[in-house]
Amino acid sequence: MPKKRKKSKKDNSNITRRDMLKGAGAAGAAAVMGPIMLTSRKSFAFQDPVPTTGTAPVAEPVSCDFGVVSPPTRPFIDTLPIPATATRTTLFPRPTQNANIGGGEAARAPHQRWGEFLPEAEYSIQGRPSTHRFHSDYLPTYIWGWNGGYPGPTIRNNYGDPVIVRFKNDLPDNSPHFGLNEITVHLHNGHTASESDGFAGDFFATGLFKDNHYVNAYAGIDTFGTTAGVRGDPREAMHTFWYHDHRAAFTFNNNQLGLNGMYILYDRTDPGHENATAGSLRLPGIYGVTDIPLELSEHRFCATDPARGRTEQVLDFGDKWTVNGKIQPKFSVRRRKYRFRILNTGPTKIFNLQLVAPNGRQAPWTIVAVDANFLHEPWELSNGNLPIFVASRYDIIVDFRQFPVGSKVYLREDEPQNVGVPTPDPASGLPIENVLMRFDVVGETINGDTPPIPNTLVELPPLPTPTDCFQWRFTLEFPKLRPDAEFEAFLVNELEFDKNRVDWVVLKGSCEEWELKNDVIASDWVHPVHIHFEEGRVTERTIRRDVGLPTERRVRQTLKPDEDFRNARRDVYPLPEENAVKLRLQFRDFSGRYLIHCHNMGHEDGFMMVRWDVVNTRSELDARRRDIFDFRRSKGLPIVPCGQNRT
Amino acid sequence: MNRRDLLINFANRRAPVQRPDTPYRVGRFSNGVLLTHENKQVKFYDDLIHGRQAVINFMYANCTGACPLITEKLVQVHRALKDRMGKDLFMYSLTLYPEQDDPAALKKFATMHGALLPGWTFLTGDPYDLETIRYRLFRENHIKFDLDKGFHAAQLRIINDATNHWAHVSPNVSLETILQHISWLDPPKSIEEIREENKILQEKIDADIKLHGYRRTV
Repeated sequence: MPKKRKKSKKDNSNITRRDMLKGAGAAGAAAVMGPIMLTSRKSFAFQDPVPTTGTAPVAEPVSCDFGVVSPPTRPFIDTLPIPATATRTTLFPRPTQNANIGGGEAARAPHQRWGEFLPEAEYSIQGRPSTHRFHSDYLPTYIWGWNGGYPGPTIRNNYGDPVIVRFKNDLPDNSPHFGLNEITVHLHNGHTASESDGFAGDFFATGLFKDNHYVNAYAGIDTFGTTAGVRGDPREAMHTFWYHDHRAAFTFNNNQLGLNGMYILYDRTDPGHENATAGSLRLPGIYGVTDIPLELSEHRFCATDPARGRTEQVLDFGDKWTVNGKIQPKFSVRRRKYRFRILNTGPTKIFNLQLVAPNGRQAPWTIVAVDANFLHEPWELSNGNLPIFVASRYDIIVDFRQFPVGSKVYLREDEPQNVGVPTPDPASGLPIENVLMRFDVVGETINGDTPPIPNTLVELPPLPTPTDCFQWRFTLEFPKLRPDAEFEAFLVNELEFDKNRVDWVVLKGSCEEWELKNDVIASDWVHPVHIHFEEGRVTERTIRRDVGLPTERRVRQTLKPDEDFRNARRDVYPLPEENAVKLRLQFRDFSGRYLIHCHNMGHEDGFMMVRWDVVNTRSELDARRRDIFDFRRSKGLPIVPCGQNRT
Repeated sequence: MNRRDLLINFANRRAPVQRPDTPYRVGRFSNGVLLTHENKQVKFYDDLIHGRQAVINFMYANCTGACPLITEKLVQVHRALKDRMGKDLFMYSLTLYPEQDDPAALKKFATMHGALLPGWTFLTGDPYDLETIRYRLFRENHIKFDLDKGFHAAQLRIINDATNHWAHVSPNVSLETILQHISWLDPPKSIEEIREENKILQEKIDADIKLHGYRRTV
């Protein structure tokens, strides 16, 4: 049992991850309420008031509720599953530019740039109920999965091949389970037109489908030519994406139920094989063999019910960590280099990982990509954890030649999980609770090895020049500026999220400098803030108060400043309390509605989220900005300190 | 199976929503005995929540800040949804200060704000019961905020006990958005209804694009 739950129930002086979740989990399918501050590992404080008088019974114990302790599992029983590659298909009815309402498609705006990017491949991905075995010691668990699997199939394609992915909602139309049977699928962080981007409010109901059009071109379609058959700026290449449900207020629920999957794009630099081809970095690249997805998540399970033949999961923070849907799996490797595409699918947990050698010491690995973007130079990390925020992707290379055949190597997670089966430490100083998974070095390589990792991976695009600036200020407060504000809520620039209200507009093709500012008070949580649409470059970080945030501090210490602030292209910006980052973003090629939100899904569902739009013309931009300023004036709100004089 | 069969199957697949056992749900709400603004005793879960869709908020009668504005917004919500109010949709306004808000005070508040409407109940009772309900419904009780009633959660809690779903919305956003959030927890619709609504939505999107150049307000 994790330490965090052992403290006195009367100690309610600390809010905990668990308490937050009570908001999310209450009655099975709640959305988390506004102020949700997560502190990682503190006491479990029961939040009912102390009984004095009254008729209300104390919450009756139920068979499975938040905070239940998952049944025990023996470590290293199951083999790490590799999600299958999604198979191409021919869709009927045929995909169309305008929504095929008669054929059962969900309402949407017409696909942008359809004629330029006619689909060359088609996929059919259904969200449907199924069962999944998280561990051999468990009976099957009810899930919602893409094509019934957890994680969903990996969609793998080449840049230059536009695809249609038809997401079909086959979820039960009458489910008492904790998910909500309406979905909208976001490809994190594809350069995708708004109507295919899984805007949180664009969910569709059971029985409908929706075609998401992924052009699979580099950002910069309008300004760059064609390189090796792909339009756009090849320096904007990204390789590891994540498709998941983005249903407003129910993202936590539906993702924990299983609506997750990986999406990989290959190009000349990263071709998905290891042969010497022109321009290839020759990283380990055979999917499922030397190029391994590791999709991390957290889950919590009820006691196994043999009568029903199930081990059900409860909507909650996990006390079991899973890799590709398995608890503490093992994976056989040979003495050569492997690439691991690590993706944290949340819903809320930050993973802090390191590789542990059989002798208990940390072993080095090399990070080659952050948030799907290759670094300029590889970053070898041999001291300290690699923090993986929700939705962050890290591609790492591990060279197993450093271990003799027969070695057991461990992936260590900083926060212990509940194992429940007494097990000796697998390595010196490594409790079994801290082991995420095990690598078994079973032999010499049989298919050779890739050459050494190049000293320079890719050339980064030049830092774009902004023509305007804007500030997004995240708060959780009692807005004093409004007469009607007597309560706290997640606010962005003093306003709650309203999917029908746009809070900033930008011009298609422009670049702006945006500042993300975390003024959420009394929070010792790092908010992983995600901006849809294009990758950004952090140019400046302001730390007004260094709050005890070991993970983030380690990132800063470990990354060379040049990399942290200038070079790493990102789409998830870790934002500790009283931190602000300035970043440069471009808004190219498409227009429409996009989002910024905290990717802690509890916060996301509590609407730590804001909408911004890309518009096509300068006159439209000016008109919309006037609307925004007028609206703010009418509410007595300050005009944002940046960008106000531009219109 | 062709598409039409599939759709028919969807239509036929619908079964009545099962109501899970009461004790399980009571623990999530509370079955405390409360008093309505009509001075009637009710059990919170059994009489007000069980199997129902409801919008719940906290207020107090002599609140001069947020409550009147929120109540005004709720009156607009009621007006928009009056055909359903009291039938399959309910509104509950619970007092934060039961010590000072007796049923008569709540009735006066409701009358003053034009909120004495069918399906809308104002509730008071034992402070412990109300506190329990507030804590359980608005589990955002960060010690630094929520123990101070002055900073009460003015969010609207939307529940549908029949489908076991909860959601929330800020009362400060537009009426249209509040109505949308409430509709998120509507009882399951048939595939015919879904398709009809989808068709109407597409018409709205098309009109919006025509007007604004892109999908902006729908």
